[in-house]
Amino acid sequence: MTAIERRDQRFGLLMSAPGLLALMLVVLFPVFFTLWTSTSDFTLLKPSNDAFVGLAHYARAFQSNEFLHALSVTLWFVLAVVLLEFLIGFAAALALDKVEHGKTFYYVVLLFPLLMNPVVVGLIWRMFLHPTLGIVNYLLSLANLGPVDWLGNPANAFWTVVLVDIWHQVSFMVVLLLAGLSALPKEPYEAARLEGAGTLRCFFWLTLPLMRPVIVVTLLIRLIFAVKTYDIVYIMTRGGPGQATDLVSYFIYRQAFVGLDISQASAMAVILLMAVLLLTAWLHRYMRSLAA
Amino acid sequence: MKKFLLATSMLIATAFGADAKTINILMEGVPDTRYVQEMLPEFKEKTGIDVQLEVVNYAEMHTKLVPQLVSPEGSYDVLIVDFYWVGEFIKAGWLQPLDERIAADGIDTNRYIPSIMNLTGKVDGVTYMLPFYNYAMGLTYRTDLLADPKHQEAFKAKYGRDLKVPTEWQEYLDQVKYFTEDAGIEGFKGVVNQGLRPDPIAMEWSNYLFARGGRYYDPETWQPTLATPEGIQALVDYRDNIQKYGPIGAANFSFDDAFNVAAQGKAYSYLTFNMFRPVYDDPASSQVVGKMEITPVPGGSLNGSWGWAIPTSSPDADAAWEFIKFIESPEIAKKRAALGGAATQAAIFDDPDLIAKYSYYPQLKQLLQTSHNFPVFTYTPQFVEVLGRELSLAVTDGKDPKEALETVDREFAEMLRKDGKLQ
Amino acid sequence: MRRVIRRLVPHLVLVPFSLAIVLPLLWLLRVSLTDRRTAYQIPPQWTEPHLGNYIEIFTAYPFATWFSNSFTVALFSTLVALPLATMVAFSFARYNTGGAPLRLSILASQMLPPIVMVLPLFAVFLGIGLLNSRAALVIAHVGMNLPFLAWMLIAFFEGEVRQLEEAARIEGATRFQAFWKVAVPVAAPGLLAAGLLAFIMSWNEFLFALILSGKRTATLPVGLSTLDTHRGVEIALLAAANMVAILPVFLLMPFLRRYLIKGLSLGALK
Repeated sequence: MTAIERRDQRFGLLMSAPGLLALMLVVLFPVFFTLWTSTSDFTLLKPSNDAFVGLAHYARAFQSNEFLHALSVTLWFVLAVVLLEFLIGFAAALALDKVEHGKTFYYVVLLFPLLMNPVVVGLIWRMFLHPTLGIVNYLLSLANLGPVDWLGNPANAFWTVVLVDIWHQVSFMVVLLLAGLSALPKEPYEAARLEGAGTLRCFFWLTLPLMRPVIVVTLLIRLIFAVKTYDIVYIMTRGGPGQATDLVSYFIYRQAFVGLDISQASAMAVILLMAVLLLTAWLHRYMRSLAA
Repeated sequence: MKKFLLATSMLIATAFGADAKTINILMEGVPDTRYVQEMLPEFKEKTGIDVQLEVVNYAEMHTKLVPQLVSPEGSYDVLIVDFYWVGEFIKAGWLQPLDERIAADGIDTNRYIPSIMNLTGKVDGVTYMLPFYNYAMGLTYRTDLLADPKHQEAFKAKYGRDLKVPTEWQEYLDQVKYFTEDAGIEGFKGVVNQGLRPDPIAMEWSNYLFARGGRYYDPETWQPTLATPEGIQALVDYRDNIQKYGPIGAANFSFDDAFNVAAQGKAYSYLTFNMFRPVYDDPASSQVVGKMEITPVPGGSLNGSWGWAIPTSSPDADAAWEFIKFIESPEIAKKRAALGGAATQAAIFDDPDLIAKYSYYPQLKQLLQTSHNFPVFTYTPQFVEVLGRELSLAVTDGKDPKEALETVDREFAEMLRKDGKLQ
Repeated sequence: MRRVIRRLVPHLVLVPFSLAIVLPLLWLLRVSLTDRRTAYQIPPQWTEPHLGNYIEIFTAYPFATWFSNSFTVALFSTLVALPLATMVAFSFARYNTGGAPLRLSILASQMLPPIVMVLPLFAVFLGIGLLNSRAALVIAHVGMNLPFLAWMLIAFFEGEVRQLEEAARIEGATRFQAFWKVAVPVAAPGLLAAGLLAFIMSWNEFLFALILSGKRTATLPVGLSTLDTHRGVEIALLAAANMVAILPVFLLMPFLRRYLIKGLSLGALK
């Protein structure tokens, strides 16, 4: 290692130290506490980590059909919302990047849902989608359609929750992707234009490759947030009807504060963390290998 | 810097006063909380104690309380406890017994309606709470339709009995069927249900269970008894009401969704918490002002209530008791009821002033006296969760009612064993 | 002609997108001007709009307190988290500090469902005596936002920025100058977007706000949820409260406008 490299390294450490320190103070203890708790017998009735039970809670988690079911519902939910939000969000971001008039107006509009609390989003969509008293079914009836049972049967409820989540969160994607687009260098486009490349060519040959780091990060972060989705399901369906929308974060919440079993909930949370971590690491590497 | 510190400490001193005590209470955002709020100036005048009510949403209350109760000293002097949590809170040792204080101040707990005192008052012979407000369920129905001669005739012709306030379960089911299928009112249903998991569906179905003569468990042995002919029939009744006779979507209705259907005049009946009864008469919420009444569910309603308690982690238990004593004194309890509070003391329902104001008080008293309690044990919330899940699966996902109830019985028994109730 | 079409195409995407957002909000606005009875009336009936709900949220509920608590916490946690995250992201992107394992473990701290962190977090803040204070919430939200902010910003410090920054170094800039004078301005759109999202995450955060705040420090999400009561949802009040709660968009406007209209690009720097 050269002297310059060593100084580079030191500078890097120095720059990241305050942030890492802050993170350690706030997050490290709870994370380790969770790991520790997952191997003991901490319940709300007997809140102590004295009894060490090893991996018993992990074994029980994998034997629980409901937990596995919640994991699979969550997988489909995450796939659906992340992909759909990405497609819609990217289209909107591209349009917003190109648009010449009304940019500020459009931008303000798309920020509105983001500033709404998930609880409120859930409650107002419950009202809009009320099968007999909601405005949506009323408008459909004017067109001789429906009535649609948005949340009352298992098949519809899943997609209704996905749709409401898209309504609420799609702008998250737009904000990040648009930032990526506006940070792109202009020169390559000018060069391509001179060579006579059209809009589509420019998109596939320039925009997509240049945007790759931002796209990867946007997808990853949205994925991690989507795994933690809980409020919308809590307000709209409580995991029902039947078990159609039982997302794993809500399941773990119930394990902890309804089932009173913090250790079991911690073990499930750690399993979830591992699954998401593996997925993230793999996605991260895969995307980087594409770049290389 | 010194000056600044001095100024701050003086500010704090004036803000809290050297001898002015403050107690903190975590409450739920309901009208009863507002009525308590209105009594606080009187309490402050009497005792000099300042009461701070912190209001959170019901669903989050438990989450907010638990860390407080687990720690040695919490922020709250007084708690309100839903009957759901009674088993858990007592098992965990989070509540202080009140018997000594009750004896010292000569408070007669017989003034409470017994079923409510059993639910959020005494546990295994020890008094941990004084009942605060009740939310027993009842059958709310349209009086104007029952009084309509056209419907009376048509109903009698088809079902061979008079159309009147139902006192038998089958009679009620016939009425539901009639108003959905035969009454000829467009878009109108005989019933609206609250099928949302877990507590709305579990609480509502409990009434069906009691109506069919079923019980949750054998009172002698705690052996679960849901997968019995009564229980299965109750679930079939419930499924029919949602699927055949109710509005679409009822399988996922919260009590708010369902209430609004009834309040918009689109259903004949709704089996719900009695505190919704006055809301029907509120023109800002309802299209059926003066047209809805409440009656006990034939076979017995489901009981529900909240109680006042002092947590073990209470910073000032004596001041806390002063407050509970005050707010539950018959005089203040009557004042709260007059504002619209849901009372728990028997005398209030016989009070002529209050009956003049709330004509349904006699029915309400009867309802409370005949209501049944939900199983209260350490894992009640978890049991509600399991029950809600299986009921919802039976109603929406085609699960066989018997199979669903057998699953509930099995998991119920497991929880009871873990709790030491079932051998 | 071609040019007109090119100009129109973005609007063809943006108009339906905006309508999907605006129409529900307009309906909500209408609900906020009625009462519960009218809100659920189908077919809808038009009544004289009244402002009673807006008055009630400010008089019968401590809405102003909720709002200012939320705004303070969101603003301060963003102001603390964003610079920290920028430095972390820069050193990760440019000097590969800690390598992939550190990057991933930072993100991993974001993957636990927050509910399992409630008890230990409560214990920490009880221990340092910050319970029921806004400072506690600011700290918790900094911890919550840092990892994802750092990750977002790594993406903005990679790629083109690197060459520019190296060029600056060759021309004699110190490492810090290269960071501050070159990398940060180039990544400005990303920084603003990340800051905006951090503000929003904190603005909407519920669980930590619930357990760490007290009566005087309750935030909007905690306060708004009390309108969902045991006696039904106060839907008209909720609608009114929501209409006010989304107003900070306009407070954020000056910053956004700058980044939207000017959008610093590499070309501008050379």
